[in-house]
Amino acid sequence: MVKIQFYSLLRMLLKQEKLELPPCEDENVEQLLQRLQQQITIPFIHKLLNEKGEMFPGTIIMINRRNIHHLEKLETRIHDGDVIALFPPGAGG
Amino acid sequence: MSATERYNRQILHWGQERQQKLESATVLVAGVGGLGATVSQLLTRAGIGKLYLVDDGLVNWSDLNRQLLYHETDIGLPKLAIAKQRLQQINSSVKIELRPKRIDRSFQSPTNVSIIADCLDNYPSRFDLEAGLVAGSFLIHGGIEGDQGQVLTLQKGKSQSLADIFTGIRKPQGEIPVTGAGAAILAGFMVNELFNTIFEQPQLLNRFLIIGLSDLHLTFLEV
Repeated sequence: MVKIQFYSLLRMLLKQEKLELPPCEDENVEQLLQRLQQQITIPFIHKLLNEKGEMFPGTIIMINRRNIHHLEKLETRIHDGDVIALFPPGAGG
Repeated sequence: MSATERYNRQILHWGQERQQKLESATVLVAGVGGLGATVSQLLTRAGIGKLYLVDDGLVNWSDLNRQLLYHETDIGLPKLAIAKQRLQQINSSVKIELRPKRIDRSFQSPTNVSIIADCLDNYPSRFDLEAGLVAGSFLIHGGIEGDQGQVLTLQKGKSQSLADIFTGIRKPQGEIPVTGAGAAILAGFMVNELFNTIFEQPQLLNRFLIIGLSDLHLTFLEV
């Protein structure tokens, strides 16, 4: 299974903290997010990606503790057992 | 008035040995605004040995809802000078050194500082702060936006860097919403972790504590 964890504003928006999905062969992060949106009735993907499918700069997406910017970004392949964290951090101080 | 009398209530909690550790410790507070003004005040009240304060800002009206060291009569004055004056009125035994500058690529932490509170309000300055730290230093990061915030401890050279964790993140356009209660709560969590780190038992090393103030949730995220 692939575990997706929601933090901060996403957790509040979706009213849940995690979801598990069965892995799909050759699926990448963007495809996983699209599949996730189909599972969840509350629209959330517009908080992460713009109309061109590019990431907004307000949310960290981590796979097994690594920011996907250090992997292959939205094209990073997802594997069985991966833990994906979606975290929009607070910027102020 | 003896030190034992002044610190009696917290010594009852953590004991004399830890109090002595605190009085021997030095902490650099980067940013003396919403988080930093309260962080530096709580450290001062607890009897921290020495504080370095870094900030180049002036007191504005929009600071007064949450920056607890400043008053209406301080508007337009440099934050650091006011902060030092107020902190010394609270506890004159704490040594306070000021670094009235913006944190940029030229920043270098004093070599005697191994615990740093990141109370800054933007990512580029946070990354410059981290880059200027001595290897092995503990960075206690705090951030707040609206009713959400996070605290994280990293050890330079051993943990992932803050710059790696936050790659791709930018400050939102416009001013960041922050309430007084939110800033005070986040600052309280930061100081609690600063104490833990001074006592050599950091609880948030390589894991975020993520705090939701509307629905009062606390969660962890390992990094």
